[in-house]
Amino acid sequence: MNEIGHPMLKYLKTEGPSGPRLPLILCPGCGAGQVLNYTLHAVDRLLAEDNLNKEDVVFISGVGCSSRLTSHYLQFDSGWTIHGRSLAIATGALLANPKLRIIVFTGDGDAAIGGNHFIHACRRNIDVTIICVNNGLYGMTGGQVAPTTDTGEKTATTPFGNVEDPFDLCKLAETAGAAYVARWSTAHPRQTVKTIIKGIRKKGTAFIEILSQCPVHKKTAPVEMFKALRRLTARVKEGAAVPDGRIAVGEFCNRDKPDWISRYQDIIDQENRHKDTECTGSI
Amino acid sequence: MYRFNLNPAYCKGCGICIAACPKKVIESTGRLDAKGHILPGGGDMSRCTGCRLCELVCPDFAVAIVEDEAAEEKNDVNPD
Amino acid sequence: MHSETSQNLIAPGIHYLQGAEACAEGAMLAGCRVYAGYPITPATEIMEHFARRLPSMGGRTIQMEDEIASAGVLLGASWAGAKAMTATSSPGFSLMQEVISFGIMTETPMVVVDVQRPGPGQGYISTSQEDVMQARWGHHGEGAIIALSPASVQDMFAMTIRAFNLSERWRTPVLVMAEETVAHMRERLVIPDLDSIEIIDRKTPQDEGIAPQDYLPYGHGPVPPMAIWGQGYDVNHVSLVHHRDGRITGYNAETHFDNIDRIRRKIEDNVADISEVEARFMEDSRHFVICYGAVSRTAVEAVLEARQVHGIPVGYIRLKTLWPFPEARLRELVRDAEKIFVPEMNLGMMKHPITEALRDRCRMVAAVPSLGCLHTPEQILARIQEEAA
Repeated sequence: MNEIGHPMLKYLKTEGPSGPRLPLILCPGCGAGQVLNYTLHAVDRLLAEDNLNKEDVVFISGVGCSSRLTSHYLQFDSGWTIHGRSLAIATGALLANPKLRIIVFTGDGDAAIGGNHFIHACRRNIDVTIICVNNGLYGMTGGQVAPTTDTGEKTATTPFGNVEDPFDLCKLAETAGAAYVARWSTAHPRQTVKTIIKGIRKKGTAFIEILSQCPVHKKTAPVEMFKALRRLTARVKEGAAVPDGRIAVGEFCNRDKPDWISRYQDIIDQENRHKDTECTGSI
Repeated sequence: MYRFNLNPAYCKGCGICIAACPKKVIESTGRLDAKGHILPGGGDMSRCTGCRLCELVCPDFAVAIVEDEAAEEKNDVNPD
Repeated sequence: MHSETSQNLIAPGIHYLQGAEACAEGAMLAGCRVYAGYPITPATEIMEHFARRLPSMGGRTIQMEDEIASAGVLLGASWAGAKAMTATSSPGFSLMQEVISFGIMTETPMVVVDVQRPGPGQGYISTSQEDVMQARWGHHGEGAIIALSPASVQDMFAMTIRAFNLSERWRTPVLVMAEETVAHMRERLVIPDLDSIEIIDRKTPQDEGIAPQDYLPYGHGPVPPMAIWGQGYDVNHVSLVHHRDGRITGYNAETHFDNIDRIRRKIEDNVADISEVEARFMEDSRHFVICYGAVSRTAVEAVLEARQVHGIPVGYIRLKTLWPFPEARLRELVRDAEKIFVPEMNLGMMKHPITEALRDRCRMVAAVPSLGCLHTPEQILARIQEEAA
């Protein structure tokens, strides 16, 4: 076998002194691995094209399959943290060092338990890019119902059918105040890469939901689910109605609003105006 | 001309690269490996355009599309 | 480490401050530049003080959506290189336990102040020492923690600085177990010359000459040097049991024990360095009052009166550090005792490790409880007289 490997392997820790780290622990055909691939492609482009400094890039995740993406794989600073709390942790990191470029991996489950932090992070418009891998269930623990599971669906904890309705994470993010909101699926690779680039570039909260396949708990072959995601989604122009039974994808919201750090910097500047020394506000 | 380089240590035989290829160049090898995965392989690579969609959609960073200049030269038309 | 931006630090000299304010000023002197919190009586004054003061030092105060988020901010801020603190009261302290557990496992320097109030539930908004066991055992899992017990405004100042120094030195969350009494009281505070105050910063791999490619995030010694985000060390903070290089697969019992035993021993093996115990009137004493926190203020009055007015040979021991528990030091101090009195603003909590530590040295350990309010000297004296006269 030729030794040339995947172009994004330069960003992964394939092994360490104590042993090998790859292959990814995820199931065959899991969409989360694809989302990591798309994200690394986006970061790769930004490192080449923008003034993005690789040392400033930090990945933070919580708990769940999507959160395993940071577990011990990345050649970046990262934190594999607690269920739902990544955004509070990201907020702290920015308060300490506003130069950090933070990407948060979360899942529909992780975002839901962290709902309070999700809402307030968007409201504060903290400068992070949130990539939410939505597979409509709690995958890591065995396929239980999630706040994004369709009504009526049978899961490990709704064996007779889900009696609840799901909510729309993108709408939540937009209402809460995120500057940039978009949704794609793992079956939209190039669109996802472009959107992640836009999200990272965007000042403020960028929330990017990626509909993703969980072949094991949906008991469907990865390829079938991958193809189905294309059929199930529709890109609609603003104002247009989403065709029946389809899920809207695309950019939903892109507004310019100051992020938390810039607003607070005004206060720091004001409180330091009498001093000779410049106060950059970095610790 | 391009070569389809697969790392069997990472590949889990999900088949997404096969489905994603716009030129239908990648095929299943039909062979089961020791972990129970059926790996893909490059079929008629002369039709591969190097779009690298297979690299992009691979969940396990197992695929690499490599430019094969020696094979490219073999296809060159020689001056009379 | 007092830089230009620190020009707004509190000036040396004599001040008259509330305990909450003293705590905040101490933190700022120690280098705290990130504060996150949630309003809760009786701790809110600490956050309000930070909100007013921190911007003028280039720091940032944020009021978060709940206590879980407040504690979460400390993790990120610390990993990104800042000294960070939160203050809460008992119900919020309960909420923070998972984050604290995570902080212990990731060996994150962070300071959490618990201004205790009675419980359980909403309890009341008065004073209490009911969280002292929770301080040690409230976080799930093994591991150890450092918990300090201030008894005065001066302590709120000095012990908060010490809390930061300990958290940086030992790479661990440190708790300041205050009570409503000490947070709300106003007293004389003496601030020494700033250069005389020792400030400790965490050791980084750069300090030890370790290059990124050689760096083991959980290796290089019992207290691993801590890489800061943004400096090219590609460090991953993780709370699953891990190898020294941060890998989390290849689980085995040896790795598990190696990881968890080290973080416990990091604290417990260093009790002598970490804990502080004050002892007075020990030479001729047959009985002892062992106390901590605000109760020490009235307990010492009871001891003085017992000795000077009633001739009862009672000694005074004050635990300035609750955890790690100073068992060896207590056994050094108390060779033989008839009766030990442990006045606490709870129904008997520190009484238990005290009893266990001195089980072969003392015939009787009596709890002297008071719920929701500070003991008077008379209450404690009455118990001493009852048992020991």
